[in-house]
Amino acid sequence: MYGFHGRLLRIDLTTQSYTWQDIEASRLRAVLGGVGLGASLLYEYAPPRVEPFSADNPLIFTSAPLVGTGLTTTAKYAVVTKSPLTGFIADSLSSSFFALELKRVGADALVITGAAEHPTYLLITDTGVEFRTAAHLAGLSAQETEERIRYAVRTAQGAEVRVAAIGRAGENLVRFATLSNEGRHAGRGGVGAVFGAKKLKAVALRGQRRVAVADTEAVEKIAITLRERSVGPHTAKYREIGTVANLAVFDRLGSLPTYNFQNTPFAQAEALSGESFITNGFSQTHGCAACTIRCERLFQSLSGEAQRLEYETLFALGPLCGIEEPDAVLRAARLCDQHGLDTISTGGTLAWAAECADKGLWPELHATGLSFGNAEAMLALIPDIAHRRGVGAVLAEGSRRAATHIGAEAESFAMQVKGMELPGYEPRSLKTMALGLAVSPRGACHNRSGAYEADFSGQVDRLQADAGRGALVAASEDFSAVLDSLIVCKFLRKCFDDFYVEAAQLMSAVTGWDYTAANLMRVGERINTLKKLFNMREGWRPEDDWLPARLLTEPLSSGVVQGVSLTPDELRLMIQSYYAARGWNEEGLVREEKKRELGL
Amino acid sequence: MDMQASTHSSALSAVILSGGKSSRMGRPKALLPFDDKPLIAHLVERLSRRFADIVVVAAPDQTLPSLPVTLVHDAVAHQGPVGGIYYGLRAIRGTAAFVTSCDVPFLQLSFIDYLVSQLDHNGRGYDVVVPVWQDRLQPLHAVYRRRVVPHLQEQLATQRLRPVYLYDTVPTRKVSAAEIKRFDPEGLSFLNMNTQEDYQAALAHWRTLSAPISCTVELFGVARLTAHTPRVPLVLSAEATLGDALTVLGTECPALLGSVLSADDAGYTSLRNGYTCNINGKDFVRDAHTRLRAGDSLLILSSDAGG
Ligand code: SF4
Repeated sequence: MYGFHGRLLRIDLTTQSYTWQDIEASRLRAVLGGVGLGASLLYEYAPPRVEPFSADNPLIFTSAPLVGTGLTTTAKYAVVTKSPLTGFIADSLSSSFFALELKRVGADALVITGAAEHPTYLLITDTGVEFRTAAHLAGLSAQETEERIRYAVRTAQGAEVRVAAIGRAGENLVRFATLSNEGRHAGRGGVGAVFGAKKLKAVALRGQRRVAVADTEAVEKIAITLRERSVGPHTAKYREIGTVANLAVFDRLGSLPTYNFQNTPFAQAEALSGESFITNGFSQTHGCAACTIRCERLFQSLSGEAQRLEYETLFALGPLCGIEEPDAVLRAARLCDQHGLDTISTGGTLAWAAECADKGLWPELHATGLSFGNAEAMLALIPDIAHRRGVGAVLAEGSRRAATHIGAEAESFAMQVKGMELPGYEPRSLKTMALGLAVSPRGACHNRSGAYEADFSGQVDRLQADAGRGALVAASEDFSAVLDSLIVCKFLRKCFDDFYVEAAQLMSAVTGWDYTAANLMRVGERINTLKKLFNMREGWRPEDDWLPARLLTEPLSSGVVQGVSLTPDELRLMIQSYYAARGWNEEGLVREEKKRELGL
Repeated sequence: MDMQASTHSSALSAVILSGGKSSRMGRPKALLPFDDKPLIAHLVERLSRRFADIVVVAAPDQTLPSLPVTLVHDAVAHQGPVGGIYYGLRAIRGTAAFVTSCDVPFLQLSFIDYLVSQLDHNGRGYDVVVPVWQDRLQPLHAVYRRRVVPHLQEQLATQRLRPVYLYDTVPTRKVSAAEIKRFDPEGLSFLNMNTQEDYQAALAHWRTLSAPISCTVELFGVARLTAHTPRVPLVLSAEATLGDALTVLGTECPALLGSVLSADDAGYTSLRNGYTCNINGKDFVRDAHTRLRAGDSLLILSSDAGG
């Protein structure tokens, strides 16, 4: 087999045992690697209606065919499980050397089930698995854990390992805890908490197995072309500024959510803009392994520490919470990273809490001083969430569950879909994105589709809803599913002239199987349908594909989008158009014929 | 971006019909002064920016100031628009012509360019491109191929003087109000004058339009870092388009040339791949011919929004 190892490693934490198992070529061909393979394995290995924190919930790492081929931006892996935040599929991506090492371990996937009795970390090599105690690592940040394990293995065995680990939030089952490696995070959906539930602190990898590609010369040729294009004008934004460049633009277009989605624009957007961060302070550029774009930016806080900052973090810990000072955002981001918290869900949950405080709905908050714009109160609450201390214990459940604790009014402004807090795209002024957020299998997500691209291109009227959006969102989800399963970074997406044609050539050259553009589009559809089937099995109902009440009842009241609203009827129309585009029934359920058609 | 430079089109001509009746106005409409010049001189000047060959069709005895045009006279007066179009098309050197009356002070070149471009549309060729504004066909703001001349001749012979007969006979592309509004939201192109009051109102509007306009370019992302400023104020000519604004921006901020803007040999400037424009935070614009208005903000940003 080319491009894949054709096997997976099953690890049982309860019995401390492992086995290697073959993966059929037909399955790999049909769903590729990454999120596709992850979704397929999750469907198989998760018992129906499994409780996310139970030992039976599988924690699945997947590699992908392009990993290790030297193609730019492909050092990535997926981690897939049933999300404790949403109760549906969680499929998170992360990158860098850990991803390369995962491939070298000699498995296309790790399927980890069971739960350890005591804190444990796994040392996985191409010859087997060691179950090691992690008692001494309890409470450490992911970064410290990574350093300790690397040091320990280096001194004892003279070998380098790559490590992904959780911080305190994961150990304490915070429902939006992350998994981190080399400063990068599998952020959304609470993967870190599933680690915590299994008493698994970290996974360390070392391997030397290589996978051959079918046509080295062809792969090399495509690699050169993509490398050249990756440093062209389409990626200039990422290379020169990073994703923080979005903030000022979104603000100007009335698409930057502020104050828990109460309004847009943000008075201090200029000070928080990516352009100001670059111009006013010291910054460093970083990148994942094997990447020529290098979109990562680290900015120096006033205390001198360099902190990685992405648009989503900046939005969620800044304007969403009414925070105006750049340094406060950097400090908040640092606290989230140290404790292993997803920054979007942390910001979203804190913004919801700030609104509860403003409205006097939650008396216990009074002592914290939390309100919009109070950076010190917010900074104090972040560790409380990770430790589940005081009100932090409620916030650790995410805004949806926390709101049920407070009451119906508070639920109406918990800005989440399927329990996952919304990213920094204002749905009322980005109607295609509104649909994308409502229907995404993993909850309010800006990564598993790029629905916003239609809105930001002028291809559609972003302020109006219509029945053409369903097809756009479905196509965008399928495109993302293929990117996320090959895996290629989404920031390379504009560097293809004709993505499916070029990706098919690439996959044919890597695997030796014949792929066509049409096959790959089908693969995208198959993966998204598979995720939906998983969600259906886990209890998905039509009302889960819906947006928070605020977005459907309150028009935007200022800036260029003043008066713009989104009505329930408009959303319903778009959702129906999406189900129709997917060939699902009117309730959004996958039909038997569709399953057969996709070979599911 | 679609940023074709607009230059003279040798295959195309313009026809101005100046022989219509001016009974309610009390004086020839072609000669109504705007800024001390007769309206027809303004029309010729404006159309000559696009068309090297301009034909003016005058009434049999009409006298006109000397103009750089081919002047022809209706052989038979007052046969309505069909007569004027017929005599005009007979005299053109090109294969098709934009035909207009002489009492329309607010012709929009970007819209005329669009009409001309529609002679071939969606793989089909048309003999006539005619706008429909407020549910009415606008035969005197339309493009005709020369080969419709025999049809017009026959219409004149049989006294079928309504242009719509022609449209029913030859392939005709009707341009909708939605299309028109992209270039001319208020339909100023079709504003003609029949009375003294119309003339006075047009004059007042003329004065506001012919003044230079101020716009602001707002730079985002790499463009801002490159230019070392978030904002560039621009003063543009009255009829400036997006393409014109980018050209002026290139001279004001030469640092942007090469990275964000590219200038061709003709000095025409466009946005490079990877960048896009938005007007006033609302509409994303791709067409270099898009007209700008006083006070517009032109946002220049990465075409890869989001991420
Ligand atoms: S573009 Fe950014 S996220 Fe993508 S691979 Fe490169 S550094 Fe990583």
